[in-house]
Amino acid sequence: MAEKLPTEFDVVIIGTGLPESILAAACSRSGQRVLHVDSRSYYGGNWASFSFTGLQSWLKDYQQNHDSEEGVTATWQDLIHETEEAISLRKKDETIQHTEVFCYASQDVEDSVQDTETLQRSSPLEASATPADSLDSASLPKERQSAYSTSYEVPSRHTEESDRELSLPSANVEDSLEKEKYCGDKTDMHTVSGEDKGEHKLVVQDSIEQPKRNRITYSQMVKESRRFNIDLVSKPLYSQGSLIDLLIKSNVSRYAEFKNVTRILAFWEGKVEQVPCSRADVFNSKELSMVEKRMLMKFLTFCLDYEQHSDEYQDFKQCSFSDYLKTKKLTPNLQHFILHSIAMTSESSCTTLDGLQATKNFLQCLGRFGNTPFIFPLYGHGEIPQCFCRMCAVFGGVYCLRHKVQCLVVDKDSGRCKGIIDAFGQRISANYFIVEDSYLPKETCSNVQYKQISRAVLITDQSILKTDSDQQISILVVPPLEPGTTSVRVMELCSSTMTCMKDSYLVHLTCSSSKTAREDLEPVVKQLFIPEAEAEAGKDELRKPRLLWALYFNMRDSSGVSRSSYCGLPSNVYICSGPDWGLGSEHAVKQAETLFQEIFPSEEFCPPPPNPEDIIFEAEG
Amino acid sequence: ASASEPPASPRDAADQNFDYMFKLLLIGNSSVGKTSFLFRYADDSFTPAFVSTVGIDFKVKTVYRHDKRIKLQIWDTAGQERYRTITTAYYRGAMGFLLMYDIANQESFTAVQDWATQIKTYSWDNAQVILVGNKCDLEDERVVPAEDGRRLADDLGFEFFEASAKENINVKQVFERLVDIICDKMNESLEPSSSPGSNGKGPALGDTPPPQPSSCSC
Repeated sequence: MAEKLPTEFDVVIIGTGLPESILAAACSRSGQRVLHVDSRSYYGGNWASFSFTGLQSWLKDYQQNHDSEEGVTATWQDLIHETEEAISLRKKDETIQHTEVFCYASQDVEDSVQDTETLQRSSPLEASATPADSLDSASLPKERQSAYSTSYEVPSRHTEESDRELSLPSANVEDSLEKEKYCGDKTDMHTVSGEDKGEHKLVVQDSIEQPKRNRITYSQMVKESRRFNIDLVSKPLYSQGSLIDLLIKSNVSRYAEFKNVTRILAFWEGKVEQVPCSRADVFNSKELSMVEKRMLMKFLTFCLDYEQHSDEYQDFKQCSFSDYLKTKKLTPNLQHFILHSIAMTSESSCTTLDGLQATKNFLQCLGRFGNTPFIFPLYGHGEIPQCFCRMCAVFGGVYCLRHKVQCLVVDKDSGRCKGIIDAFGQRISANYFIVEDSYLPKETCSNVQYKQISRAVLITDQSILKTDSDQQISILVVPPLEPGTTSVRVMELCSSTMTCMKDSYLVHLTCSSSKTAREDLEPVVKQLFIPEAEAEAGKDELRKPRLLWALYFNMRDSSGVSRSSYCGLPSNVYICSGPDWGLGSEHAVKQAETLFQEIFPSEEFCPPPPNPEDIIFEAEG
Repeated sequence: ASASEPPASPRDAADQNFDYMFKLLLIGNSSVGKTSFLFRYADDSFTPAFVSTVGIDFKVKTVYRHDKRIKLQIWDTAGQERYRTITTAYYRGAMGFLLMYDIANQESFTAVQDWATQIKTYSWDNAQVILVGNKCDLEDERVVPAEDGRRLADDLGFEFFEASAKENINVKQVFERLVDIICDKMNESLEPSSSPGSNGKGPALGDTPPPQPSSCSC
């Protein structure tokens, strides 16, 4: 570490997940001196996203079960006064379990030679998701040249693709105005969509034999590693959700770009179908009969202001939403669409009122940015915490990754936390401490019952529902395949989201765990995909996308833990939770706002910052 | 950083008054003079003491090149380079970089390789980079010969300048050159015939028409 950290702050934040990062931005924005640290080498904690090789280094870390004691040399005991005691933080992250990796893509000998070279060169440092690492760049000039000669493409001034990029309006201006400015701005060169073009050469040879199927080998995925931005938790944003509102209000939206989620899908009678959501979708749907269209429109129109028609659901308040739907003269497929794809709830657990509210929420989100209720950040959701970190830094927040904190120092008399001692034996004092759950020691969490999230990350070669366009972003909820299991949320991302290489798809599966991630999710994976190797055999199976690579893991879900479940925490230590399994990030936003208002009751939460352009205009004027 | 009032509407009208907008980034070790360089260029000011940049995300300057109004949005690192913790989000969508070192600071020069790799990893493939050896007014304290800077720039495929924000040497020139090479690359790609060699895009692969624009409500 080149420079020593300052030793006095107002707020110390440990962990760079979404709630911590929002809090960092909020505190810094309101004038607090913020130190924001993470023990990892990358931003985001369990909200991070990784390149392909970066993800593998991440995996290695968990699989090797490495002893992270090494490197922690400085002792803190001497730095604690008699009137103080220490709460030592956890040395090793234990939130990820049951990681399992399967590679189905071809790994022939020639490839694997390349692999080891590439991997050696890129791991462990280059593989990390952040630019924070120092990298070995011996091969840079050559590669750069080849990139120029093979795939130079400046985004043209006004391509259709750039039209589809969404920039969120800033808080200063009325929504509509800004939208026009961003989307109608013919001269805005600020687009990234040209980047992933011109890489067809990788697949030219194979395409002679298999005109429809491009083969992607393992070594190609390694070579194109940086095209992947693989989220540990993949969440879309509700177009009318609290995260979008916050991004716009705080102007953090200027650091990110978004794309519309283009389709909502349903898994009905063994097939993937597109769910019509908007009025136009319903009318244009080929799957629905005229009668069904009318039924669906009638029901959706009712849901939009269901509160006004309490007589319609009064008698069913105690029933489940699925039972209620059965009384509404809807055909079984419509009931299925509404329950699983629109309300996105489950058969058993959702009441009529919750279901109606969820449906209404879905409908209200339609049309703000596109014809589904969701948008997705380019380069993955892992960008979002970083965007808040940037805002914090712009207002003076100090950032340090790879910075382990050994303990919290607590004053015995007052019971308040006075400071931290880091791995270098440096003592840093502050008034408030915000700590992410996974850093807390076992003793503090002994009474806590954690839930688990089951996750799968797949790389595939085709979309689960092929259409004219191969650039679709889709969300699918697969209802429980067997009684007693939970529904599984599937998000399929195309390469123009900048999360996977050309001609591949990145598929995220998420559910709340009942067993290990693979046990929970593999049945759904088998329904939707076929492993690359098996694809040769049956021709019928050609319809299914091929599975090139798969990762399963379980992640701790600390979102439901109440503060009182933690033992022995000083009152000025505040806890943020890791990711929850819910669809959006509403929980994280709410938690950040609640904690901020608890700490600084009189301060505004993330008000709009002054516009840098205005600062310049004033300086000149 | 006093302007906290939301802008009045005329600014928006003025805002549209350009043909292109380029996002440019400053990058390099702490204290090589990135912020001073930016302030010299954008405001023609220089403060020898540390410039507090709290609240300043980027600066904007409109230039005229080749009969075009080009709005430059020039981003600073917000201090996140200090402990090597620049967010990946910072790099996204940038069209040009000024990679800066201090000719009187060997460490900052050694770090150039690393920064170049960062740029390559996280930015757009065709982002243009100029290597800048700043503080060339400090000839007495020089530890990095200009020749070394030039050689490294050649190796990395970047253009090279020595400059001084303090003495206002080459500041404007560096930015103008960066704008020019971005424009050149842009024009190159707009004329298909001039793109070097075949990029392997076989016609047989069916250059699928661009996906239908999803009807975003704007």
